[in-house]
Amino acid sequence: MPVTVRLPGALREATGGETKLTTSGGTLRDVIAEIDRRHPGFAARVLDEAGALRSYVNVYIGEDDARTRGGSGAAVPDGSEVMVIPAMAGGGG
Amino acid sequence: MIERTRIVLPRKLQDEIVAHARESAPRECCGLLFGDGEVVDRLVRGRNVHPTPETRYEIDPAQLRKALLSGDDSDRYLVGIYHSHPATKPEPSFTDVTSARWPAQVYVLTSLQSDPPKVFAYRITNGEAKKIPIVES
Repeated sequence: MPVTVRLPGALREATGGETKLTTSGGTLRDVIAEIDRRHPGFAARVLDEAGALRSYVNVYIGEDDARTRGGSGAAVPDGSEVMVIPAMAGGGG
Repeated sequence: MIERTRIVLPRKLQDEIVAHARESAPRECCGLLFGDGEVVDRLVRGRNVHPTPETRYEIDPAQLRKALLSGDDSDRYLVGIYHSHPATKPEPSFTDVTSARWPAQVYVLTSLQSDPPKVFAYRITNGEAKKIPIVES
């Protein structure tokens, strides 16, 4: 079964408006790279120059925060649902 | 993407936003506004997990994930996001504008600088905030 990746918020701008994509399993970095091959520029929105998740991006693999499972190196088994959620943040300061 | 040019936010929900802002002070409050299209009919208080909540907010991403699971990613049901400025103007700050990553949603803002506090609405897209009207019903 493929991995399903859901993209709420502004990240869909990097996928031509697609909000749900399917990829192969692997690591989270592999999943992001596969989307980037289809939509160049996507990876740069999610990962920093060192390949780590950007601070304003939260990724869930199923119910788990990817940062608690190794960040961009986290395993994404076939059939997983991944949600890439931009931070909902700001403030008056 | 939905282009909301106004938001329908009943007075009762505006009052709830102000009440949340007052209860949270001196920290910023934040939350989600659900409904359909431009009409809000439900407010969900958010947990502000930012480490400096007096001047910043970040809605708990786990809470956000759960809230989003109930929708269909179309932007239709998550109408807006609200937060408070306890000590600054009810206008999007530089931080608000540069941190905005939800272009289809309306950013609703209140400030405790005025009494009673007023509620305002903005679209923040491409690094620019634009005030939009709030309709009560």
